[in-house]
Amino acid sequence: MPDDTRRQPGEKTRYWISVQEGTGEPGGRPAAWNEFPEGAADPPELPADALSRRRFLALLSASAALAAASACSRPDRGEIVPYTERPEEVTPGVPNFYASCFSEGRRAHPVLVKTREGRPIHVEGNDRYAAAPGKAPYRAIAEVLGLYDPDRLREPSHRGKAVPVTEAERLLAERAREARSQGLPVLLFTEAVLSPTRARLLAELGKALPRLEVVSYEASEGGGEDRVLRSLFGGTVRLEPLPERAEVVLSLESDFLSGEDPGSVRAFAAGRRPEGPREPMVRFYAAEGRFTLTGSRADARFAVRTGDLAAFALGILRLLVERHGVALPRGMADLPWPAKPLEALLGPGAGEREAEALARDLAAAARRGAALVVAGGHLPAPVHAAAALLNLALGSLGRTLAVWPWPTAFPPVGRREAEGALERAAEGRYGLVLFWGGNPAHAFPGHRAFAQARRETFVRMGLYEDETAQAAALVLPEAHWLESWGDFEPRPGLRALRQPALRPLYPAVRQGEQWLLGLLGALGGEKAEDYALFLKERWRREEWPPASPVPFERFWAAALHEGLVPGTPPPPPAPSAGALLPHLEAARSETGLELVLYPSPALLDGRYGNNGWLQEWPDPVTKATWGNPLWMAPADARRLGLKDGDRVRLSKGERRLESPVLVQPGQREGVAALALGYGREALSVARGVGTNGFSLLGGDGEMVLSGVEVEKIPGRQPVPTTQTHHRMEGRDLVRSLSLREWARGEGEGREGHPPVSLYPDQEFPDHKWGMVIDLSACVGCSGCLLACQSENNVPVVGPEQVLRGREMHWIRIDRYYEGPEEAPRAVHSPMLCQHCDNAPCENVCPVNATNHSPDGLNQMAYNRCVGTRYCANNCPYKVRRFNFLEWTAFKREPESLVFNPEVTVRPRGVMEKCTFCVQRIEEAKVRARVEGRKVADGEVVPACAAACPAEAIVFGDLKDPESRVSKLARSGRAYKVLEELGVRPSVTYLAQLRNVPEDTE
Amino acid sequence: MHPYDRFARWWLPVGGGAVLATVLTVGWATQPDRFAKGYAPTQPIPYSHRLHAGSMKIPCEYCHTGVRKARHAGIPAVQTCMNCHAVTKTESPAIRKLAEALRTGQALPWKRVHRLPDHVFFDHRPHVAAGIACQTCHGEVQEMEVVSQRMSMRMGNCLGCHRDAHAALPPGSPPRKGPENCNACHR
Repeated sequence: MPDDTRRQPGEKTRYWISVQEGTGEPGGRPAAWNEFPEGAADPPELPADALSRRRFLALLSASAALAAASACSRPDRGEIVPYTERPEEVTPGVPNFYASCFSEGRRAHPVLVKTREGRPIHVEGNDRYAAAPGKAPYRAIAEVLGLYDPDRLREPSHRGKAVPVTEAERLLAERAREARSQGLPVLLFTEAVLSPTRARLLAELGKALPRLEVVSYEASEGGGEDRVLRSLFGGTVRLEPLPERAEVVLSLESDFLSGEDPGSVRAFAAGRRPEGPREPMVRFYAAEGRFTLTGSRADARFAVRTGDLAAFALGILRLLVERHGVALPRGMADLPWPAKPLEALLGPGAGEREAEALARDLAAAARRGAALVVAGGHLPAPVHAAAALLNLALGSLGRTLAVWPWPTAFPPVGRREAEGALERAAEGRYGLVLFWGGNPAHAFPGHRAFAQARRETFVRMGLYEDETAQAAALVLPEAHWLESWGDFEPRPGLRALRQPALRPLYPAVRQGEQWLLGLLGALGGEKAEDYALFLKERWRREEWPPASPVPFERFWAAALHEGLVPGTPPPPPAPSAGALLPHLEAARSETGLELVLYPSPALLDGRYGNNGWLQEWPDPVTKATWGNPLWMAPADARRLGLKDGDRVRLSKGERRLESPVLVQPGQREGVAALALGYGREALSVARGVGTNGFSLLGGDGEMVLSGVEVEKIPGRQPVPTTQTHHRMEGRDLVRSLSLREWARGEGEGREGHPPVSLYPDQEFPDHKWGMVIDLSACVGCSGCLLACQSENNVPVVGPEQVLRGREMHWIRIDRYYEGPEEAPRAVHSPMLCQHCDNAPCENVCPVNATNHSPDGLNQMAYNRCVGTRYCANNCPYKVRRFNFLEWTAFKREPESLVFNPEVTVRPRGVMEKCTFCVQRIEEAKVRARVEGRKVADGEVVPACAAACPAEAIVFGDLKDPESRVSKLARSGRAYKVLEELGVRPSVTYLAQLRNVPEDTE
Repeated sequence: MHPYDRFARWWLPVGGGAVLATVLTVGWATQPDRFAKGYAPTQPIPYSHRLHAGSMKIPCEYCHTGVRKARHAGIPAVQTCMNCHAVTKTESPAIRKLAEALRTGQALPWKRVHRLPDHVFFDHRPHVAAGIACQTCHGEVQEMEVVSQRMSMRMGNCLGCHRDAHAALPPGSPPRKGPENCNACHR
């Protein structure tokens, strides 16, 4: 990497966090220097209809009179309502965990749902799931908030008027019967059908409605991958990278380390933390146009235009074939090599030497079957064809890449087919159109199928009165997945069950399958009382091993308890490499600005748009919240005179879109990127946040558009980023080492003089809680932030308040860049309260609201805090958060059910911060005390550590020299942030490691 | 009379008295313990602890089952009452009300007697495990016809015992203290 060559051994690496700062441009400096951004400490601005002085006085006297009257009687203390018949498994105050399964798009992930007195409050991974024990995808964690979304539909409606369930069922059946008797086709427009039992139900429905057309479409997919894999394997397959077996990984603009699949992150991270500098470590290359989170962690990152990725992959293949004797798969001898030579594709950053090293490493790893090439799902077919070819040549299939057939008879279709169905629907060719899941009116903005409101033949089955529902006459409320039954195949041969963690919140709500089952019965098909029985019956017939000595009821109970049933993986389909050729020939290199549309890491295709946690979740790379600014390369931005927050108009032919700009270091010149899923037009949280990237998609669904025009338009729209807030001025905060630097002993020890203290040391009689964060394992996915938010009742503040630096997250993932802005390397560093032994916040609190516990915790007594904010001022880590406004008191029901009952909900005017999940510590201590033993190592797991798919966060007792955390804290890579201040933090960081290719350092 | 004399003789004492009366009234009205002790609301079922826990010597934990398993001791489900009352005293109006509640599934809203503020996370388990009797905090419940609050249950009560638990612990217990740090109860 260029910076490495410039840097002399021992010289201090300079880290920077934003473009303005990196280039020393004036604009960024003062804003970054202000600890509290403009307006952070201002009183709230009052709306026009705010209380007048007279009205205030009137209310004051009235309430004083009332207070005087009520002071004469005893205050009521409320009621305790016990169960009439207590369910055997419920003890009030003790959480129950139910095994269930989360699914989105092509993925399913087994999870455990933590419930208290019957209501889900937290989602964790299922520890029996071998691919990612105990780890849940971050969006699954955020889904408890979705369950309690006040915008959810509560009853069926017809033409906007609420109707009873029986009436809704009758209307649905009537439409279907009419369509059947008139011989008209029926369209079921739905999401990817992963569940075998759901597929079985659809097949039954197909028997009752002979002209049923099922279109399953995932709007966040480019479709290129599917086309390539279909021709390669002769059918739709699922492809899952298995980085645990890989030694060298090449990512082609893939975001497989985004945390959406915790299994990939876990496996990758396991190979990224060697015990010593001579131990083996996975080497990771990335080639991409957009600056992905995954690519930011690469040991060598090639900045290649997204449209050139196919040519890049073929160029590497050519090197492999010509220099390293890798054989091309059969039938590929006349493979057309790209016209552009490899070196012409490479931008700033990794160059030819790295490309040669990549080919050499891939060839060496391939001999052990340990090479892996992953391509991003949004990329066009030629890239996937080239990636598949590389994987075939390197022998990765079945070794580092799992391939298994699509588990149901309803594979997802491409955008063209989906649009075709919508066209026919618009023309009124269907007797009944049932929209179930997805949100086609958002994914096909302005499509004429949705031009007419409340179309009589349209039925919407979903959670919300969303864009699609507004086009349908009949709207059926669907149950949330936490209230539903189902089954999935998360890995080849492995079956996972979904069971409801609670009964639907509203009596008229039922899961989609249940509505369809009612329809099936009304049409004279198979009759089943409810979907749970239908599922169980299918399992009895098809999943229960016929010769099993275990009676079915026990098998079923065990399956529900574990959430998983292992089985035999289906035989992997055989590839026919020759089928890749037509896809490769379609590869072409374009000039002009390229626009990469990619599924938003927060909202995916927009389905989570109404989830405030996900809206306010800082993008792991840009740290932008509440919106999807257009990412532009610094060079392009300079050329067009654009700065962060300037507005541009994007046009591709007739299609246009306006968006604010965010300058993204590392983005290849000529590549812009926009996240999909924003610009929703319905729902109270989602509406009006960001712009709808789907409006730029053409009919082919290609998500990489070339020849896009960008022009600056007047006006500014500041992007609410958490980027420059709560920062620490240019000190030694993160450390990153190459293996060779580590071998030379760099990065060990501390900066500056050893900390000395005039004060006596703190004493810790029993425990001294501490944490170790391994920056080498951390991929920056920010899943910990959501787990913390769910566990600790962290409020959502909204975009205006984020702009003022008032976000409340207890843990933030600092992202530092290093090197030139065209080709930086990133270090992701989770930052949370360091629980310093000599905490500077404690000394300045005038009311002693924050002080030290004998366990080494920096504790915060909210009821004592008077909100002076001195502590936040004095915190060198900037991890304290102040409740500038009342964030939680005015929630719409039932949203307050999401709160963790073990944690206080903080009111306005109170300071708060990470507590190391003290409620979990106290629970473990009480349990140990009652059982008369000591707290075992690993018994206390804070929410962030539990959620971390990379297992980068380890928590434990530093007083016990044999605990895992103590051992890690003694590692050669260990350092403490700002150790020279002498505050003695309890959090130890392990320097990030890079396995930079030989002879390129 | 000189205006100063009038002030000294009349206005000063009257004003001072008014101020004092206000301070005393407000102080008395807002004193935290004023309503704490002796609160004994009427319950939906005239359940007598004196009869059940006193005369019949039914152990507390027969009904308050959560006390060793959870933070909360818990209020028994209607079903627990019916363990006995399915056959005993079935004709009494209160028992009929219970049977009706069980039959319809209608919940019985008991009035809460002891209530700690929301930011206090008291846990029964370690206290019971240490052998502290229920009566230490809840008073001699087995002698109460109607349960009333006997301890004001303020932070001073907690800390008093946590600093020196000798009086509350059963005879022969090793000397021990409870935690005094904020996070032990507030989080």
